[in-house]
Amino acid sequence: MANNIMNWIDKRFPATEFIKHSLTEYPTPKNLSYWWNFGSLAGIVLLLQLITGIFLAMHYKADVELSFNSIQHIMRDVNYGWLLRYMHATGASAFFFVIFTHMARTLYYGSYRAPRELLWWTGQGLLLLLMATAFMGYLLPWGQMSFWGATVITNLFKAIPFVGDSIVTLLRGDFTVGDPTLTRFFALHYLMPFVIVGAVLIHLVALHTVKSSNPTGLELPAKDNIPFHPYFTIKDLFGLGVFLIFYSVFVFFIPTSLMEAANNIPANPMVTPNHIVPEWYFLPFYAILRSVPSLVGGVVAMGLSVVIFAFLPFLDRSRIPGGARYRPVYKAQFYVFMTVTIVLGCVGYRPPTSAAIAIVGQIATVMYFGSFLLLPFISKMEERWLIKRGLPAIVMALINEEAAEIEKHKQKKNQRNGVKS
Amino acid sequence: MKVFLKIALLCSLSAAAWGAEENFEQANVETTLPAIKRGADEVMGNCHACHTLKYIKYRDLVALGISQAKVDGWRGDEPMDAPLKAQMSEADAMAAFNKVPPDLSLMSQARDGGVNYLYSYLIGYFNKPDGTLSNHIFAETKMPDMLGMSNATDEVQKTAIKAKARDIVSFLNWTTDPHAAERIQLGKYVIAYLIVITTLLYLVKRQIWARIKYK
Amino acid sequence: MEQQNPSDVNRRSFLIKLTSVVGGAGVAAACVPLVSSMNPSSDVLAKATVEVDLSGIPVGGMHTIAWQGKPVFVLHRSPEEIAASASTNGVIDPEPDAKRAIKPEWLIVLGICTHMGCVPNKEGPGWVCHCHGSQYDDSGRVVHGPAPRNLEVPPYHFLSDTKLIIGKA
Repeated sequence: MANNIMNWIDKRFPATEFIKHSLTEYPTPKNLSYWWNFGSLAGIVLLLQLITGIFLAMHYKADVELSFNSIQHIMRDVNYGWLLRYMHATGASAFFFVIFTHMARTLYYGSYRAPRELLWWTGQGLLLLLMATAFMGYLLPWGQMSFWGATVITNLFKAIPFVGDSIVTLLRGDFTVGDPTLTRFFALHYLMPFVIVGAVLIHLVALHTVKSSNPTGLELPAKDNIPFHPYFTIKDLFGLGVFLIFYSVFVFFIPTSLMEAANNIPANPMVTPNHIVPEWYFLPFYAILRSVPSLVGGVVAMGLSVVIFAFLPFLDRSRIPGGARYRPVYKAQFYVFMTVTIVLGCVGYRPPTSAAIAIVGQIATVMYFGSFLLLPFISKMEERWLIKRGLPAIVMALINEEAAEIEKHKQKKNQRNGVKS
Repeated sequence: MKVFLKIALLCSLSAAAWGAEENFEQANVETTLPAIKRGADEVMGNCHACHTLKYIKYRDLVALGISQAKVDGWRGDEPMDAPLKAQMSEADAMAAFNKVPPDLSLMSQARDGGVNYLYSYLIGYFNKPDGTLSNHIFAETKMPDMLGMSNATDEVQKTAIKAKARDIVSFLNWTTDPHAAERIQLGKYVIAYLIVITTLLYLVKRQIWARIKYK
Repeated sequence: MEQQNPSDVNRRSFLIKLTSVVGGAGVAAACVPLVSSMNPSSDVLAKATVEVDLSGIPVGGMHTIAWQGKPVFVLHRSPEEIAASASTNGVIDPEPDAKRAIKPEWLIVLGICTHMGCVPNKEGPGWVCHCHGSQYDDSGRVVHGPAPRNLEVPPYHFLSDTKLIIGKA
C-alpha cells in the first residue's frame, strides 16, 4: 500500500529520489566532529524562532501606545505567554551563538576554501539577514533600550554622503524613531524569517553540491563517506538534545540574564539611558564602530568588519589544503582572531569613558582587520616553511598533483601560443 | 578549539564581574508566599499612595492568595479587574514633587542592579550634616524616606526597617514576574525530560554508529 | 556487512522504539503551550461574568447587557406576561416557563437567534428575528421557525433583589 502511494507520487514528484539524494544516500564524511552539528542546529533554532514568533504575533500590537503594554499582556495574561516570550528572546541569543560557532568552525577548518566559496557566501548573506531581523525584532518591545538602539543604528546611515539624512528619515518614516518605524519594523521582522528560510534552502543546495568539508581539509575518497541518514540524523538529534538542555536552563531559570534593565522602562524620546549597549552578539562590531574616531570611518569599519569574511577564500593563498589541521600558523592565527573578537566584545560592553578601554579597543580593531589583511602573506610564508619542514605524504601528494596540473596547463598554453606565433 | 572555549568562559566571567560595578546591599530576596504577602501590606501602606502598579490588578492579588476581604478594603469602589492606580492623581503628584512617581510593576528589574538596587535604595536614606535628606544610591531622589531609615537610631530599629524593605522588594519582585514560581517548577520537569531523552538519543546514536566498525 | 546476533537486533529496535515514543511525547507536550496560548487569556476570562443592576428596569421594560461580547436580554415581566408564558409550553421546542426563569418576573435569555445567530428584536409580545423570520414568545421560546430551539438561558444567579450575576449559576 505504502509502496503504491510512493510509486504514484514518484511518477509526479521526485520524492524518493529527493530523500535518497539528500538523506539516505547523501555522502557525508565519517570523520566529522561535533563541531559539524551546528549547521543543522541553526536550522532548528530558526524553526523554533519562527514558531514562537508566530504565536507571539497573535498577541503583540505594533503601536507606540500599545506595544509595551502588549508585551506585559503576553507576560502576565496570555496562557504560557511568558514561556513564548522568554523562548523567543533567549532563542535570538541562541541563534547567534549557534551561527557564530558554525562560522568559527568554518574558519578553523578552512571550510570556506575552494570549492566551497559560494556556500560560504550564501552563509554570509544569511548572517546579514539574521542581523537585520534581530535588530528589527529588538525594537518591538518598545523599551528604552529598544528605542535608543534603533535610533543609534538607523543613524549609522547618516554616514552615506549627500543623501544620508534623507535615507535615515526614509528608513524611519518619521523624523525620529516613531510609530511608523515600529510598524514597519514589525512587518519586516515578520517577513524576514521567511526570506531566511529561502536563503537557507539556497545554502543547502550549495552544500549538497560540494558536500560537507571535514576536519582534515582533504577531499575524502568514497569509502570514507557514510550516508547522512541514519548516522548524522541521530548525531544531530543527540546534539539538539544537549543544546536544548542549555537553552532551557536560560529560558526557565535565568531568562532575564541577557536582557537590559533599561528595556523594562517604556521608550522615552526625551531621555537617553546612561549606558546604551547593543545585544551581546553585536558587541564586537559595535566596539569597532566606536574605536574609529570619525563618524563615516566608524560606520565603514563596522560594515567592513562583517562583510570582510566574504573575502577569505581569496585571502587564504596557501596551497596546503584545509585549515588548522596541517597548518600550525593558521591555527595560531585563528586563536588570535578569536581572542581579539572576544576582547572587542568586552570593550563594546564597557561605557566609552575610560581612555584605557578606548586604546584596547583600537588595538583590537587593528588586529581584527590585520588578521584578514595579513592572511595572504602569512599563509604563503607558512606554506613555504611547512613544505621545507616536510608534510604528511598524503598532503604532499595533493600539493604535487596540483602543481603538476598547473604545470600541464601552462605548457598547453605555451604550446598554443607557440603555434600562433 | 578547547582553548577558545576557555577564553570565552574567562571573558564571560570577567564581563559578569564588570556588570556589578556598584556595590549594592544584597537583598537576598525571598520568594515565599508569606514574604510576598507581607510585602504587599507594606507596599499598599507606604507606596501605593503615590505609585501606580498598573500591570497588577486586584484580582491578581486574590489569585496570589491574599484574602478577598483585605483586597476589598484596598480596592474600595474599584472593580476587581482594575489595575492598582495610585491614590494620588498625576496632577497632584506633579504639584507636590514636580514629577510623576514611576510605576512600580516592573521596578525590580528596571534598574541596573535589580532587586539589590531597590533594596539598597529603600534603606539608603540618611541625613546630611546640614539636616537635609539624601540617599546613598540615588541622591536626587524626590521620594520621602517612607521607612524612616534616616531617623533610625539603634540597630533594632534598623533591622526592622531592613526587614520591611526586604519584604517590599519581595512583593515587587513578584509583581515584575508573577509567573516566576510556575516557570521554575515547569523548568525542572522540562530539564528532567530533556536529560532522559538526550541520554536515550545518545544510546541510539552509539548503537547506530557501532555499525560502522564492522565494515 | 554487519555481523549481528538476533538479540542484538531486538535490543536495538526496542531502544529506537522507546526513544521515538519518548521523543514524540515530548514534541506533543511542547505543542500544549502553543495551543493553550490561543485560548482566552486571563484578562478575557476575568470578563466571563458580568454584574447587572436591576433597579433601573421598569416592569415591562427590557435591557440588553453585553456578556462575553454577546447580547443578553434582561426582561422585567409584568404579571400578565408571566401568566401568558406559564399557560403555554412552547411550540417547536416545548419547555415549561418555570424551568426558564429563576424568578418569574425576570427573564434572562441570550439574545442570539438559535437559527443563524442574528439578534432578534423585541416586538409586541416576544421577539422577532428579522434575518429569517423566527418568532419567540415572552419566555424566549420559539413559536415560529425556522429557529430550531428556544433562546438559550445563560447561567446566572441573584446576589440580591436588585443585583444579578450573569455567567455563573
